Amino acid sequence: MKKRIISLLLAALLIAGALSLASCGKKSGYVVGICQFAPHEALDAATKGFKDALVEALGDEVTFDEQNAAGEPAVAVTQINSFVSKKYDLILANATPVLQAAYNATNTIPILGTSVTEYGSALQIENFNGTCGNNVSGTSDLAPLDQQAAMIKEWFPEAKKAGLLYCSAEANSDYQVKAVSGYLRDLGIEPVLYSFSDSNDIAAVTTKACSEVDVLYIPTDNTAANCVETIGNIVKTAKTPVIAGEAGICKGCGIATLSIDYYALGRKTGEMAAKILKGEADITKMPIEYVSATKLYSVERCAELGLTAPEGYSPLN
Amino acid sequence: MIDLLNSLPGALAQGLVWGVMAIGVFLTYKILGIADLTVDGSICTGAAVCTMMIIGGSPAWLAMICAFLAGTAAGILTGLLHILLGIPDILSGILTQMALWSINLKILGKANQALPARSFSVVLSQLDNVRSIIVLAVLSALIIGLLYLFFGTELGSAIRATGNNPVMSRAQGINTGVMSIIGLALSNGIVALSGALLCQYQGYTDINMGRGAVVIGLAAVVIGTAVTKRIGSNFALKLTGVAFGAVIYYTVYQVIIFAGFDTDFLKMFSAIVVACFLGIPYVSKKIKHMKGRKKDA
Repeated sequence: MKKRIISLLLAALLIAGALSLASCGKKSGYVVGICQFAPHEALDAATKGFKDALVEALGDEVTFDEQNAAGEPAVAVTQINSFVSKKYDLILANATPVLQAAYNATNTIPILGTSVTEYGSALQIENFNGTCGNNVSGTSDLAPLDQQAAMIKEWFPEAKKAGLLYCSAEANSDYQVKAVSGYLRDLGIEPVLYSFSDSNDIAAVTTKACSEVDVLYIPTDNTAANCVETIGNIVKTAKTPVIAGEAGICKGCGIATLSIDYYALGRKTGEMAAKILKGEADITKMPIEYVSATKLYSVERCAELGLTAPEGYSPLN
Repeated sequence: MIDLLNSLPGALAQGLVWGVMAIGVFLTYKILGIADLTVDGSICTGAAVCTMMIIGGSPAWLAMICAFLAGTAAGILTGLLHILLGIPDILSGILTQMALWSINLKILGKANQALPARSFSVVLSQLDNVRSIIVLAVLSALIIGLLYLFFGTELGSAIRATGNNPVMSRAQGINTGVMSIIGLALSNGIVALSGALLCQYQGYTDINMGRGAVVIGLAAVVIGTAVTKRIGSNFALKLTGVAFGAVIYYTVYQVIIFAGFDTDFLKMFSAIVVACFLGIPYVSKKIKHMKGRKKDA
């Protein structure tokens, strides 16, 4: 029995060894390790944009090792460990937990983050001034939160109470919701927080929120994005309008969004990567970059609720 | 191939962290005969307590002791639900695990808290795998040694008896309820301690970090037991085997990631590994049995 297990393990090791040897032969130019935290529309778009931009800049010179951590932090740690031991030229950390794992795994390999909202709090850097100053830089998916609060006022000048719906397990959402609350208070709208813990209680929390407020706001929340159909059905019945933090959520349940394009965000990150790989830029001096946000509205849902979009909004497809 | 060898210290360190966790799972799963699902929550509780204390300025060792104590509290809660309220053991664990999710969120104050080794003084980190391995090896040896001594005492023997034969134990005047609670407390304390190690190693605590922990723990227990079965039945050897089981699990995991396996299948892989190690001994026994019957005929 014991012998059999050991021989099985040895066989697995040998096969893997042979495979990795085979892939070693092809290795030339730059190798970039991509670790994406979970399969998810926005994160997928960012990864795609990153690869497209990098391939355009470097062509055949760059190869990718793309991994997905399936939403488990422990898996991300193992995947980052394999990148570091293979001494890749650059690591793309797509989403906060991956960035944190990479940050704690290497201080030599350049790490670019994307789909990360706030680098200062993600990496616990005190007095963060926009540049990490070490082997980390990247792009932020933060859409200007004061403008999002202003949008709620713009669409619903009469609104007294706005519900902020988000997943309490997501640090990014928590950060956004708290900031938006402050801006809403300044505009004379009372913010009410509605947090759900996972996809199972999202329906109950949304129903309660719809019965108590004039308008709902949903930040760039991954769980909400995955359960957008559930939210969409409830707000449609309740006739509660939703302002969303990103286009994906707006598409499923919202009337309007101030959205950043994750593909463009990935592209910008890819351009930063090309500069680092070519030696044109020093990552310790590269500030976190942003992409500009666009105002979009859902034609179908606005018609349902009898709303007309203010000026400056483009229809969302 | 050299790259793969380079990645092994990382896999070894990660395996050893989960090895500590697996020792905790071993205590409930093998000694008490309870499949305790509290651990998915208590590993995160340990990490949360440890992270917040280190950020607050406590030394890492004190934070780790407090993490252990927080874990024991979680274990006691599961024990009370099971023993006092008569809720089945699996369900008690699930209930505590759910409650812990909210408690962990309150301890952390948010869903994700960074603890980078670059800014805080921690005892181990992925940045320095060699040091991490030494720290983990010493700590594991210490835990195994202490548990070996503890399960040799009268109280420890009573806990083992409770798991082996509760009816007989009660007849001998052992309070099996109290013994189960002590076992669960000890187990979850060790699991929380591994969470405290894990957050320092990976540099952050995430509210979802315990997801699937029990599967990794069980995998390590099953692999460890299968490997040490033929060597002997010494208790310390079994515990060492369990810790080593986690190392084997992570080494195989690392190899699979290295081989460029589609990572969407990783969870399925985890399930297959556990199923194989659980199933192979049973099937091989059956085959032997059938062969034996054929000879007779």
